[in-house]
Amino acid sequence: MSPADGGMDGARDTRSPRPFAAAAALAVLAALAVWALGADYALAQAAFVATWAIAGLGVILVVGQCGQVSLGQGALLGLGAYAQALLALRGVPAPLSLAAAVALGAAGGWLASLPARRLGGLYFAMSTLAFALVVEEALVRWESLTRGAAGLAVPPLALAGWVADTSFAQALVGGVALALAWFACRRWVASRLGRAWRAVREDEVAAAAAGIDVARAKTLAFVLGGGLSGLAGALYAHWIGFVSPEQFGLMLSFELLMLAFIGGARHLAGALWGALVVVALPQGVSLAVERLPPGLAGAAGIETALFGAVLVILVLLRPGGLAGSR
Amino acid sequence: MSAQTLIQVFASGVATGCVYGLVALSFVLIYKATGAVSFMQGELLMLGAFAVLALHEAAGLPLAAAVVLGVAALAAFGAMLERTVLRRTLGPGHLTALLLTFGLGMVIRGAVGAVPAASHAMHRLPLPFAGASVQLGGATLAAEHLAVIAATALLAGALTLFFRRTRAGLALRACSENAAVAALMGVSVPRMHTLAWALGAGLAAVAGVLLAPVTFVHPNMGLVALKAFPAAVLGGMTSLPGALAGGVFLGVVEALAGLALPEGAKDVVPYLLMLAVLLLFPGGFAAGLRGRP
Repeated sequence: MSPADGGMDGARDTRSPRPFAAAAALAVLAALAVWALGADYALAQAAFVATWAIAGLGVILVVGQCGQVSLGQGALLGLGAYAQALLALRGVPAPLSLAAAVALGAAGGWLASLPARRLGGLYFAMSTLAFALVVEEALVRWESLTRGAAGLAVPPLALAGWVADTSFAQALVGGVALALAWFACRRWVASRLGRAWRAVREDEVAAAAAGIDVARAKTLAFVLGGGLSGLAGALYAHWIGFVSPEQFGLMLSFELLMLAFIGGARHLAGALWGALVVVALPQGVSLAVERLPPGLAGAAGIETALFGAVLVILVLLRPGGLAGSR
Repeated sequence: MSAQTLIQVFASGVATGCVYGLVALSFVLIYKATGAVSFMQGELLMLGAFAVLALHEAAGLPLAAAVVLGVAALAAFGAMLERTVLRRTLGPGHLTALLLTFGLGMVIRGAVGAVPAASHAMHRLPLPFAGASVQLGGATLAAEHLAVIAATALLAGALTLFFRRTRAGLALRACSENAAVAALMGVSVPRMHTLAWALGAGLAAVAGVLLAPVTFVHPNMGLVALKAFPAAVLGGMTSLPGALAGGVFLGVVEALAGLALPEGAKDVVPYLLMLAVLLLFPGGFAAGLRGRP
């Protein structure tokens, strides 16, 4: 980074503090996953981790960099997923439909960010909540297009005659998409725009006094973050093979916030760590619940409770997230 | 559409709105006093209804005693949560409190859902007036709606007395206005935070008991709290009477929308209303009228 980047915690802020330790930990985790779960299953999970990490990058741009609390990120994923599902069902080639999903996510982000011109903090968070609930209801009610609550089956991703229907192909596509998204985010947060975001996060009045267009910075964070959410939603729709409005409700928005918070919302690496936790945790919890005596009914309830408990413990013990260990 | 139908829909809207208003009130009370955004009011509401149900059906207490004990237990639970967990996250960050309360809500919802007796059957609180109706000049009003409205009015009166006439109520208000100055005047701010959470949890439990005759008692009944956010926003987010009024207004608008607008519009109307209010009157209706930002 150039010296001009100093002062207000610059772009260093966004990198993992110990890249080599992190890479080694990842390699060990990957090896363990392959050994314990089998290569096929581990690769399928890796595709999900990469997809959630892309969505997490979107949340980190909005929440961690720009400092806006968004409760509507799940709806943006939903827009991307539905765009991709509907276009894929009509035989539109994947490069076009993926671009459309990203564009729709970005447009949704732009729409959700409009109230930010007048509101801040909790009021704005409430407006994103309203946006998300309206989008979800629209997906349920526009039955002629979305088939409502019954949902849509999504064909596998097809790129110019090559069909990504094995878990290896899915992990490959997810990894490439994540790498591209990561590269773009690195560029954005190190740029003038990234510095503007962090200035807005620390103090809006001071940022405005320093000549930063606060409304534009917030809007761009939502547009770029929305585009990433749209991409993640599109990939997720293919991996899971089925989309329905309830998948993209408030719970998903909260899960994404959790993801960013658990990983560490101020670092891009937080998206990857958070995605690992969010994908691994429910499976670990359900494995633990299976070990319980079978007479204990209500396993679904225990899963929810344990998931919540882990979140509470992580929030209390690691308020800076896993990546934020400085 | 006859006038009678209109009156009946109006009354049921006011009754539903009272429940929204009470939940919004508990949310605003906690937000004002402690600065924490609570996403677990719905779960506290559900837990309150189940506590009363358990005390009445499993422990065999008379209903009135079960209601009083259940609400008191929830208030104690709220105070305990504040003392042990929530106190650690006080501060300016909305996000920490939001995620923490959401996680606690998941724990509560999951724990109740894991009890087979709670999750496998629908329960009804056998309130004495449930199912009865009252004839009022040609219109047939459900007795439970009238009971909810009367109970809310009583509770609002009691809260007004508490906030205006008692030392604890004044201290809590002082703490909400300016914690630093209140501390200088000898108010124990941490104790007021505990009190705010206790009151908030108790109010949510009362809302749960009032909602019980209208819907069933089940682990997901806390979803009604999602309507409390628009209600709180309509009231300006920091006004207790505003939150209650916002809830009642929302209930009526929702009921009328169910009558006049196509299927499904009813569920979106509160949020569209909230967006409109946020954009047009960011300080809530009351502040908009007073011309304050």
